[in-house]
Order: sequence, then C-alpha cells, then structure tokens
Amino acid sequence: MKFVAVIRQVPDGESRLKVQGERVDLSGATLILDQMDEYAVEEALRLKEKHGGEAIVVGFGPERTEEAIRTALAMGMDRGVHVVFEGHADPVAVAEALAPVLREEAPTLVLTGGQQADWDSQALGGALAEALGVPVVAWTTALELEGETAKAKHDLDEGAEWVRVRLPAVFTTQQGLNEPRYPTLPGIMKAKKKEIRKVQVSLSPKVELLSEEIQEKARLGKVLDGKDPAQAAEELVRLLHEEAKVI
Amino acid sequence: MILVVLDHDGNRLRKGSLEALTRARALAEALGTQVAGVLLSEGQAPVEEARGHVATLFVAELGPYTPEKWAAGVLAAAKDGVKAIVAPSSRQSRTYLGRVAYALKAGLLEDTLESWAEGGMVYATRYAYLNRVTQKVRAALPVVLTVKPNTTPLAQPLGSMGEVVPLSVPQVATVEVLERVQEEKKGVSLTEANVVVTGGRGLGSAEAFKEVEELAALLGGAVGATRAVVDAGWRPYAEQVGQTGKTVQPALYIALGVSGAVQHLAGMNKSKYIVAVNKDPDAPIFKHADYGIVGDVHQVLPALIQTVKKLKD
Repeated sequence: MKFVAVIRQVPDGESRLKVQGERVDLSGATLILDQMDEYAVEEALRLKEKHGGEAIVVGFGPERTEEAIRTALAMGMDRGVHVVFEGHADPVAVAEALAPVLREEAPTLVLTGGQQADWDSQALGGALAEALGVPVVAWTTALELEGETAKAKHDLDEGAEWVRVRLPAVFTTQQGLNEPRYPTLPGIMKAKKKEIRKVQVSLSPKVELLSEEIQEKARLGKVLDGKDPAQAAEELVRLLHEEAKVI
Repeated sequence: MILVVLDHDGNRLRKGSLEALTRARALAEALGTQVAGVLLSEGQAPVEEARGHVATLFVAELGPYTPEKWAAGVLAAAKDGVKAIVAPSSRQSRTYLGRVAYALKAGLLEDTLESWAEGGMVYATRYAYLNRVTQKVRAALPVVLTVKPNTTPLAQPLGSMGEVVPLSVPQVATVEVLERVQEEKKGVSLTEANVVVTGGRGLGSAEAFKEVEELAALLGGAVGATRAVVDAGWRPYAEQVGQTGKTVQPALYIALGVSGAVQHLAGMNKSKYIVAVNKDPDAPIFKHADYGIVGDVHQVLPALIQTVKKLKD
C-alpha cells in the first residue's frame, strides 16, 4: 500500500498580504502547509497506520515549499518528493507536472486539499485524476479501504453521499475528514533526516497571471448601541431599507 | 462553438445557468461563433426551458452524478471542437471541469467575476488568496470558464426553440453511488441567495436558530453558519460559510453572534452590505461591517424580526 498526499505551501490566512508591482508579495507573510492539504497528510498517515505500507508527501512549488514538505515529514510521512517550480501555475499545468512523478510512485490512492488557499482553485483533484486516468472523489469527509475499492462519504453541491470507488483514485480533503496532528519534537528531529527527492520540471502554464490587486471594500462602519434593542433594530432596518436599499 | 453547461434541479434551470448563458453569448459574439448548450441529468431535466435559450441543445441522461460521467458528457458535447466551455461555478462543476480542462489541455478560469475576449484570448477577473486578492488572468483558446454566482445579469430566452441533439456518452463505471444523504431543502440556496443570515457561536444553542431561520425567511434569504456552530452540531455543514465552507456574495449579509475570524471572513467579505450584531464591541466583525448593533443578540434578533414584519406590512 502506498498513500500519497499532494501538498503546497501557501500564506497563512491570518497574515497580512501586500501587493508590489501588481503582484502579491509574500516576503513578509508567514508561509504554511496549506490547511486543506494538512487533512490529506493526516489521512495518508491514518491509512498507513491502519493498513501498513508507505506514506509519501509530494510537494509542488518553489524551493521554499521544502519547509511545508518537512512539516508533513515531521507529522510522520515517510519520505518526500519535491517537484520544483518557481512562479504561478494553473491546476492543469500542475497536474501535468505531477503526473509522471505520481505514475512512477504507483500509489494506492492520492489525497490533496479541496481548495488552495493561494490560487483559490478547487480543480487540482479533478485535473490530477484525469491525468492519471482514475476517478476522483471531491470534498471527502470519510474514507475506508475495502480491498480493491474504497468507501467514501463526500459533499455534493446539495447534501452528501456515500460512494464506492475503484482504486487507485484521487480524493480531495477538507475539514471533517480528520483532525490533523501536530508535529512532535522527536518528529521534527526525525524529519530532518528523511529523504526529499527533488524533481525539476519545466511546464507550460495554460493561464497567464496579468495582475493582482487587493480591493478591500470600504465599509460604512455605522455601529449602533443596542441597549434599547427595539430602537436599535428599528434604526438598523430603516438604514437597510432607506440608505442601503437592500430590504 | 461556445458550449454552456446548463445546471438544473430536475425541474428548472438554476439561476447560475442563466448567468453562464449571458457570459457565453458575450464570448460567442466577440469570437464570432455560436452558443450551444449541454443538459446533463440524473433523470428528469428541463429540456423545454433549456431549448428556449440555445439554438442547439445536447442532452444526455447519465444516472447518478459522478465527476467522471459529467466530464464525459461535456467532452462528448465538445467533441467537434469548442472555443470555450462556460458553466455556473459550483463545487461539483469545479471538480468535473478540472477533468475536462485537463483532457482538452485548456486554460481553466475558475469562479470568474467577469470575462471577455480580446485578440483571440479570453480574459477574466477572479478572487484569490481566500477571497482577499483580485486577479486578472488570461488564457489562449480553448478555455474552460466557470461563472461565480451573483456576478452576471440573467440571460433572456431567445424567442425560438433550439434543436435537441441526444448525446452518446461513453459509459464510465469506476464510482458507484451507494447512498444519498439528502439535506432538507429550505428556501433559497445559500450561494445564490441575495440575503444571507448567519448565526455564530454567540447564539448559544441550536434552538436559537429558529429565529435566524425566521429572519432569513422574512427577507427571502438563506441561513448560514460559522464553523464553530457546525462543529457544535447545531447546523449542517452545507450551511457553513467560510474558508472550509461556502463562499457567498449576497447583497446583504447579516452576521448574528459572529466574532469575525479570518476563516469566516474569507467566505463572505465580498458581500455588498455586511451587518453585524454582537455583544462585544471589539469583535473583529465590526471592522468589516457597514452596519452594526452592539448588543445582546437574544434581544436584538426578536426585535429585528418584529421590525422587518412591520416593514413588510
């Protein structure tokens, strides 16, 4: 059994972003293993602990992505592969770059986060599955192996469903699937010695990024005192009706 | 050809499909081509309504949804070549269109706010970095483009009925749907709603959401919930707004007893007007609010319901 988690490094949602020359400048931001991908790492670890085999982290991105790969190794992943690429890449291009690496590993299944916290893309799971010619289960909240298949619960646009899927398959992960563990100190020490294989790729992005800007909508900030709830409610409804004209 | 994927609930086209049609028609005009529609269904589908919107309508009944079947259906409709595939943005469409974009080696423009064609390229704007940054992107043809809900005027029918073309879609059977867990459908869908009323931990209990539902119903809106509320089991995950839930952009977003964590803001910070009710004047949500009441949500919420009722009379 071989369980692969595909991860990326992204800015922490709490860090302040700035824009320089029409590009987001991450130099001052705290960079972390994408929290959605953390669920993928945790699930790979749980599957390995239950069924045996190997848990591998495959990271995509610039040199600094190695930090996020080390985090996954400190959580307990056995080894890492770093597909190195500097710059912006759309999910189709990322899937093209990752496909040869994943084919070589021939995993039982591949896990990756449901949405990227930088590009806000939800497509990597689907694109990877197409690249590998395997099914995809998106927004997974439960996953069990049953021989050559897996049984999974996942969210639809409305409601959820249980499916049985032939392996190998790609699963996208999210909150609710598990509670990612924290790296322990011994885990962090061990991670320093674990192998990270570097793979250099040249890829052809299909989508070109022209500019980025931060448009924080200026808010009115009209705050009322609610000591008299009836009066405050009336004033609020009046403002929404007459000023904002939304009710 | 510009292929538009017409999403529906079995009886009616979804509002998002009419937004996607508007985008598709604009691209078709700029690129000098025609719009065709594709209507995929698990069984029942609004064929007549859809025919009123496109000159050519590809239809296929595929049985229970899987991304593989839906991708195969779209690819079958696109097999004679497409310049663009346009679809309403949803979690499902963003999954199966990932497959489609890869299969066509197309530029994937996800969850776009605006789109236009110029010099044989398609341009779009979209949010990134958890909704905090607006990106301008472009891709060469063909492109696969999804349309963010509530961004685009709704398309009108053409005034003539299009030709229906049954599609033959290769069978894919790698996923078996075992059991649907249907959620009770109440009112409008969260992502399409013009008004969203969200309750946070400050409401204190699952019971308190009865009043949230009442206010939402009065305003013709949908109920939202924060992660804390969903984790506590007070509301279903389908109602969660935020980084790990749904992203909404209504005309009016009312946050009741919501503190305003960054992860929550990521799901609603592009709403036109934001209203906050919280007893803590220092709650971060007030920094993002147009209107707010500092007070006890258990007193303010019933007062709001009463006042809105009065206004409706």
